[in-house]
Amino acid sequence: MLFSYNWLQEYVKKELPKPEKLAELLNMHSFEVENFKKTKDDWIFDIKVLPNRAHDCLCHTGIAREIAAITKGRMQLPKTKKIKTQKGKLAPLKVRIQSSELVPRYTALVIEGVTVGKSPKWLKERLQSVGVNSIDNVVDLANFVMLELGQPLHAFDYDRIEGNQMFIREAKKGEKLETLDEKALTLSEGMLVIQDAHRLIDLAGIKGGKVSGISHNTENIVLQAANFNAASIYQTKSKLQYQTPAANIYAHQIDPSLTIEALERAAELLSELKIQGKITQVVDINPQKVKPKRIVLPMHFLESLLGIPILQKETKQILQSLDCKVKMRQSHMEVTVPLRRVDLTIPEDLAEEIGRIHGYETIPAIFPTVSLALPPKNSELLWQEKIRDAFKEIGFTEVYNYSLLGEKDFSQFFYSKKEKDGLVALENPQSSDFSHLRGSLMENLLKNVGDNQKKTRLTARRVIRIFEIGNVFSKDQGKFNQTHMLGAIVSDGGFYEMKGICDFLLNSLGITDISYDEYQATPEKSRSALWNKAKSAELKVDSQEIGFLGEISSALASSVKITKPVGALSINVDKLILLASEEKAYQVPSRFPASTRDIAILVPLQTKVSEVMNVIERAGGTLVSDIDLFDIYEGENFEQGKKSLAFHIVYQADDRTLTALEVDTMHNQIIKAVQENPEWEVRK
Amino acid sequence: MDIQELKNKAKEALKTASNLEELQSAYKAYLGKKGEVTLILRSLAELKPALRKTKGKEANELRDFFKDAFKQRSKELRRLQSQKQKNRERIDVTAPGKRLQEGHLHPLTQVQRKAQEIFQAMGFVVVQGPEIETEWYNFDALNIPADHPARDMWNTFWLKQPENSKFEIRNSKFLLRTHTSPVQARYMETHQPPLRIVVPGRVFRYEAIDAHHLFNFYQLEGLMVGKNISVGNFKAVIQEFYRQFFEKPVSIRLRPSYFPFTEPSFEIDMRFGKSDWLEMMGAGMVHPNVFKTAGYIPRQWTGFAFGMGLDRLCMMKYKIPDIRLLYSGDLKFLQQF
Repeated sequence: MLFSYNWLQEYVKKELPKPEKLAELLNMHSFEVENFKKTKDDWIFDIKVLPNRAHDCLCHTGIAREIAAITKGRMQLPKTKKIKTQKGKLAPLKVRIQSSELVPRYTALVIEGVTVGKSPKWLKERLQSVGVNSIDNVVDLANFVMLELGQPLHAFDYDRIEGNQMFIREAKKGEKLETLDEKALTLSEGMLVIQDAHRLIDLAGIKGGKVSGISHNTENIVLQAANFNAASIYQTKSKLQYQTPAANIYAHQIDPSLTIEALERAAELLSELKIQGKITQVVDINPQKVKPKRIVLPMHFLESLLGIPILQKETKQILQSLDCKVKMRQSHMEVTVPLRRVDLTIPEDLAEEIGRIHGYETIPAIFPTVSLALPPKNSELLWQEKIRDAFKEIGFTEVYNYSLLGEKDFSQFFYSKKEKDGLVALENPQSSDFSHLRGSLMENLLKNVGDNQKKTRLTARRVIRIFEIGNVFSKDQGKFNQTHMLGAIVSDGGFYEMKGICDFLLNSLGITDISYDEYQATPEKSRSALWNKAKSAELKVDSQEIGFLGEISSALASSVKITKPVGALSINVDKLILLASEEKAYQVPSRFPASTRDIAILVPLQTKVSEVMNVIERAGGTLVSDIDLFDIYEGENFEQGKKSLAFHIVYQADDRTLTALEVDTMHNQIIKAVQENPEWEVRK
Repeated sequence: MDIQELKNKAKEALKTASNLEELQSAYKAYLGKKGEVTLILRSLAELKPALRKTKGKEANELRDFFKDAFKQRSKELRRLQSQKQKNRERIDVTAPGKRLQEGHLHPLTQVQRKAQEIFQAMGFVVVQGPEIETEWYNFDALNIPADHPARDMWNTFWLKQPENSKFEIRNSKFLLRTHTSPVQARYMETHQPPLRIVVPGRVFRYEAIDAHHLFNFYQLEGLMVGKNISVGNFKAVIQEFYRQFFEKPVSIRLRPSYFPFTEPSFEIDMRFGKSDWLEMMGAGMVHPNVFKTAGYIPRQWTGFAFGMGLDRLCMMKYKIPDIRLLYSGDLKFLQQF
């Protein structure tokens, strides 16, 4: 909100500090001054009044009071006039409220015989300096008092209130109202409105209705200073997206006793602004009298919370400068806070007042006294970081992608309606491109590959290896699910490369019982359009499925303009971490030399490597220390439907050097075992 | 053949051998099984003793001479050969080295790790929480009542309730957490003080996108609860954090602020030496209502809480001008870290 330096000066007895100094003082003790600018003969401050002070500081006296407290100065309050009614001709205005909860206080003056005209020059200038246009003396009066005291005022044309009656109530659904600024509103149930005998005349606390507004012909007015339910005003202004200064103040809840103060100030200004007229009636519905709050402030409370001793004398002085009444007791202070300070209710609130006025910069930095016992380790986090390190070790770059995706992605990545419905949707998305929470990391990773290849088209293309760890979301059976996932992509990588990466990762997490199964479409777990089913697998540990790996379907890859096969893996990190283990035991490597024999076996195309390896392992026994597949070959040289698997078989004993004879014997055993299968043939 | 003649011939042969192979065959020709010198040595046995003595001496001398000469020549040839090889294997030290594909961790990961390490060294436990939150944990439990303008401080993404949802109670509406603070409430529900935690994580705000704002970003939340924890303690801990993080002396200052879940509340500014103050984060002393909701007895415990933006910290540390770069997946950017 904008504040005028000259205007603020009117309420502070001492001369204000220079603008620059004033800005710094306010920054350090009250509110952030966003900027301050010189005008012809004034300085305008843009001050970010904090939400908990909107009820007393969205006005010049409020900020002036802050300045007085900070600079140890004194306030001089604006002149007011006790309200006295005079006899008049107007029929009395009858005001009713639906409930005291909705309208804690309703106060208004009926003023007969006013002159609506131009405002004096000083008033116009005051208003304009803080960005408010001058309309006429009555509207300007209302705005001026609000900017001065923080109580919104509103003027109705008395003669346009039909039946001399007002009823303040909640609107019914669909009721219509045109406001002074000619907005045609359709109201929802519960919005606070004022009606006269026949129609709606006001959107209470937010904006006057067009039908009851004043004009140059207005002779009699109702000057309202009311107090409305803050939550109700907040809801209405949020629902209608309707911001007015009055609505903003009301939404923050103000002190109900302010209404009279504001009207007394207005009464004082009537003749000065040549509005004249006589007050014939005072309406004051005040169902819930508010009493000042009393807070007990224990003597040692401040020091223990702030960490600095502050003299009692100073504490008292600061509180008094904020209009609190202070009584000293044996072990505590009894502090009565002014009604205006709706925010002060507990000792901590007072600690904040004293701390900030005294100055937080005076508080010394002192380390807390704590136990040296180590806190428990967060093992989930440790493993997560270990996964990151593992990928870094094998040349992957980590990416972070957005959590939101939308229509563009759905069409680019062939989402079926069912798949889309399984995603978590935002109720209030910013755009259709970011309307849902991601259900997988893969789409964005694929886009990353496409984008990077596009950028490096002219330079040498290198294999892109990227990974991401992040949360993905889904919903089923009325529940939202959040899953911690790992996704990795290799731009020119096949199934075997991804399998090697998986093996490496799991080994580095101490996970051993790994197996790979044929890909089975389980749509709820993995989008089936994602994978090339012939070249993908499920990753299992202890026969529990924890992820997928393999090649991305070529249709998907080409949708992001990638032509080479894309290898990918997608693993549930939560499940992975549960299986991870730090236990490692050193195994003494054999001191004796190893011998290697090769074997090449012709097998049917559909035969799995693992089947052959199992046979070799069983036949070889304990002295076979490693079986290493070094070639898979499907070629023209073989009969239809056959492929060749070539292995190095490493023989080694822990306690002796194996003789050539021993090795040959074992190797022959293996050859024999392999050839027991009539479809397998050992190549010579 | 005359020994002298043979000697000259052998000398010549060793001299003309231009490489080790030729030298080896020359050796064979004279001292091999059927070499000329070998044959002479062998024929000595057939000679009369007198002749054998003189001839034998000559022949042995020849053999020793040949062996020495061979050794010398082979040394020489070896030297020549390695010289040649060296010439052939010349390198250009200015040519680029072979490029390795090294891995990179995201700058946000690195910043997060560093921040965590510092707090862990000060005895804080790292805790995490869900990104989909309930209205209760994100707001109500933190003393941010419904229909209060304070909620406008957090522009919120709300989630469409799943169909046939069983959750229709008030304040169980779901949203994307707008800060990491809900984890405070969750943690205190299940743990007794004293405690020290930090909570890194992704948070969401309904914000227009520009160089400094995005709808998702990272925060690091901190909470310390104990007996007589004061503003002075907070100052010490957070100043130490920044000093360790930036690895140079820093000063901090507290300005008044407002957060419903802390009282008093502060904005924290930091600067290096005498440079301009930089806005770093919000903080404050835990509001007694938050303790009450967590089931603690207020004023028996006090504590401080803070929340800093990790993206901002990361951008400051590495002089990154635009937050969107962090989420771009652009390898030219990411591979600089």
